[in-house]
Amino acid sequence: MARAPLPVSLSLQRLVLQNSAVLAADQHAALLLSGFHPAPTGDALIVSQVQQELWNGSGARPPETHVSFSGTAGDQPGASLDRINAAISDWVGAHAGRLLLGLSFPLVLFIVWQASSLYGWLPDQILPAPSLVWQVLQDRIGDGSLWDDTSISLLRVLRGFTIGAAAGLLLGGLMAASRRFHDYLNPLFLAVSQVPTLGWVPLLILVIGIDEGLKNILVALSVFIPVTLGTYQGIRDVPHAYREVGQVLTFGRTQMLRTIILPAAVPAIFTGLREGLSNGWQTLVAVELLASTEGLGFQMAYGRQLFQLELVIAAMLVIGLIGFVFDFLLGRIENHLQRWKVAA
Amino acid sequence: MSDRINPRLARIWRAIALPLLLLAAWEASTRLSLVDPHLLPPLEDVIARGWTESRNGDFVTALLASLGRDLAGFAIGALIGTTTGLLLGFLRPAQAIFGPTLRVHRQIALFAWVPLIAVWFGAGEPGKIAFIALAAFQPSLINTWRGVQEIPDRFKELAAVLTFSRLDFLRFVGIPAILPAIFTGLKAALIYAWQATIGAELFMTIAPGIGGVMMQGRQLFQMDLVLLTILLLGLVGAGFNTLAGLSETLLLRRRTS
Amino acid sequence: MKRTFFAALISGIFLAGTAYADPTVIRIGYPGVGVDNQPYGYGDTASLAHVGHFVEDAFKDNPDIKVQWTFFRGAGPELNEALAAHQLDFAAGLGDLPSIVGRARGLKTRFLLPASEHGSLYLAVSPKSNINSIDDLKGRKVAQFRGTNLQIASDAVLEAHHLTEKDVKFVSLTTADGLAALTSGNVDASFGGQEYLDLQKRGIVKIIYASKNDAPIFGTNSAFFVTEEFEQAHPDLTQKVVTAFVKAAAWGSTEANRQAVFEAWAKSGVPVESFADDLQGLSLARENTALIDDFIKARYADKAAKAKQYGLIKKDIDLNSWFAPQYLETALKELKLENFWPTYDANGKKLTDGTVESQKQASAQ
Repeated sequence: MARAPLPVSLSLQRLVLQNSAVLAADQHAALLLSGFHPAPTGDALIVSQVQQELWNGSGARPPETHVSFSGTAGDQPGASLDRINAAISDWVGAHAGRLLLGLSFPLVLFIVWQASSLYGWLPDQILPAPSLVWQVLQDRIGDGSLWDDTSISLLRVLRGFTIGAAAGLLLGGLMAASRRFHDYLNPLFLAVSQVPTLGWVPLLILVIGIDEGLKNILVALSVFIPVTLGTYQGIRDVPHAYREVGQVLTFGRTQMLRTIILPAAVPAIFTGLREGLSNGWQTLVAVELLASTEGLGFQMAYGRQLFQLELVIAAMLVIGLIGFVFDFLLGRIENHLQRWKVAA
Repeated sequence: MSDRINPRLARIWRAIALPLLLLAAWEASTRLSLVDPHLLPPLEDVIARGWTESRNGDFVTALLASLGRDLAGFAIGALIGTTTGLLLGFLRPAQAIFGPTLRVHRQIALFAWVPLIAVWFGAGEPGKIAFIALAAFQPSLINTWRGVQEIPDRFKELAAVLTFSRLDFLRFVGIPAILPAIFTGLKAALIYAWQATIGAELFMTIAPGIGGVMMQGRQLFQMDLVLLTILLLGLVGAGFNTLAGLSETLLLRRRTS
Repeated sequence: MKRTFFAALISGIFLAGTAYADPTVIRIGYPGVGVDNQPYGYGDTASLAHVGHFVEDAFKDNPDIKVQWTFFRGAGPELNEALAAHQLDFAAGLGDLPSIVGRARGLKTRFLLPASEHGSLYLAVSPKSNINSIDDLKGRKVAQFRGTNLQIASDAVLEAHHLTEKDVKFVSLTTADGLAALTSGNVDASFGGQEYLDLQKRGIVKIIYASKNDAPIFGTNSAFFVTEEFEQAHPDLTQKVVTAFVKAAAWGSTEANRQAVFEAWAKSGVPVESFADDLQGLSLARENTALIDDFIKARYADKAAKAKQYGLIKKDIDLNSWFAPQYLETALKELKLENFWPTYDANGKKLTDGTVESQKQASAQ
């Protein structure tokens, strides 16, 4: 007996989607052979996913046993600390291999870098030694200037991203919802999206100057375009089969949206959002390089002008790190929103 | 509105409605002197400028130079990116090894590489082309890689069941499954390459190019030239997109989805 | 008989082939571009050497030697990168700050001769602006092409008014971008050179500071450099190039050529009148001198010290081993110009007269 009944919509959603996925998958398989059905692996996976959900709902670790809908699994009271410890060591244990592998390539790069500065493969002015970069980082963390620049750049990106993503979701959603809307707006959207973001710089500088407005608009624009595309594609590409299932089950518009369309569109929307964030960073750095008085991009420009490329590299590392964290977070959210999905 | 009359006509009308409205507003604001003519020159001026510039040998040279750079960089970057993506995709541990580094690399602004590239390849043509290639490299790598990774397991199982040889696998399963992803990568690479071309022209040594023309327009306060170049950039971008879309449709025609 | 004949023929062709060596390319870099992005400079003898083809003429009898000029939009900083990457042999007209910064970072160059001295520094503001003097710059947004000799010159001016870089919000913009930014009101003020004179004439900006109205120690300088690598490999070519530069400087210091000099500089897009205004009442020879005298040595020592003080460089630089006056001296002897230019002391006071000035007086009569 399940410990607590899952909300109907969630289990229904899952079943609907799994079967729809099977339906859609069939169309692919039809390319090779008609009438080929997925192996039983699919079904067992569905079951284990549901079980996962049950256990996750209860907060306990899922037992590594064969599939079973029964059992409540202990939620031993007072074992929370042990559970946390166990969870962490499990995570590290499971991921240790991956962590090591993931660090291996950067390690190789670092070794090459260090060798280059030791043996002078590249002039020291162009590729300063790692120790120098480290020194600069320490100095800038020490006097707080790194935090100042980072926070300014972060704020700019977040502002631009919020504006651009909101606008993109709105426009993409509207265009996907209404064919008419799409027909009216798409040509203009296409036209704007074809112009490289930096191409707007001379025009915008002449019109609005080099203040925060310039950065906000350019970052927002570079985010807006992929998010609109991702949202539009995501919603429009929800396979017809899914919608049919929804119609068969006589879903209302809201329910259709909530249980079928949005979850199915999530991957594409999130791809759009991730690309938007990445674009936003790139644009911000480029704009700060061109015209700014502070920020990480400005630091890069400043370092280049004063022939202190360690400043450039230090700023690059910070930018890459922050971007990685952003991407990681967005990826996590995407995974969470897609937990119904099964490897097809 | 006129759906009953002729659906195609209706769609064409809808497509041009907004742009026409904007053009009308532009014309109106000039006639009514609503906007500073320095900031928004009359429509006729921009068109006239376009006409004179198209006769101007320098302008055409600039455009061709930019296009040449763009295509050269794109070709190099996309080629290297796609091949690397294919290699990495078929290598199981590659995701774990190179994945995180690649994600971090994606976030580092392309323009931060300019000093290094200027040193390794020079700040002239080779440098700009290397920069553009770097921009094209990434999307083609990522998309191809993902395409290989996401060959559904079912397909692989199917091929195993049918005891496909490696070559057959590639021919009937692998390549048809990967091609769409490769094309997505190429389309993205084309866009990024064009963006990088403009960036390279703004950030690196002068040479004929559309970016240079734009800078010129801005510095000489010739707004009509700036608007003209923006229009041109958009047209080229659109041209690329259409070309990419057409070739995709043609080459992937046999796909049913 | 026949066999030896053919053998000789073939080896002869082979030898002839190797004798046709790859041309040596002399790569000269100029830090800057014209205001409309044309590959022309202004305000120094380097640009005169370029326009007048002085270096090319020196080698016109040598088909094996080619001269290649590269103009860097990123000015000094970008040129430094090219030097570091061994992509240049000569830096013509490199500003004082970038050359000092480069040397502090270990770039191996030799100072050959100056390309410009007493370069003008102007502070331009919009006509309706409430900025009337350097003191009013506190907290305002000011455009400045950072990393160039403009930066250190403006820093020195700020220091004289008890301000530092931190008191002002500097935006780094190229010359042309700075012009655009000031004109459209994106920045409150802009430090720059002669390019602002034309805008003042047209009423678009107001100039509230001019270094030539200040002590001679303010103002920008630039010079010719050769890489140690090239110098050691081709001392003879280095000498020839230096001689060509000196010739250009002599041409540019002769008053009879005044109009021609301005027109040569005007190829950069800055109008002829701007140069006339900039140098009104001043002799060409003072700006375009080729001598390494006490004044220029003191200027560079001073700029280097200030660069360290403002935190633009981390360590002191060795100036004495930097200067390589031997090429200049040989060139002066060869061209019989030993007494052509006047010499000045460390503060800009004249020490000795030069024959070029008597020429000026002659033409004025």
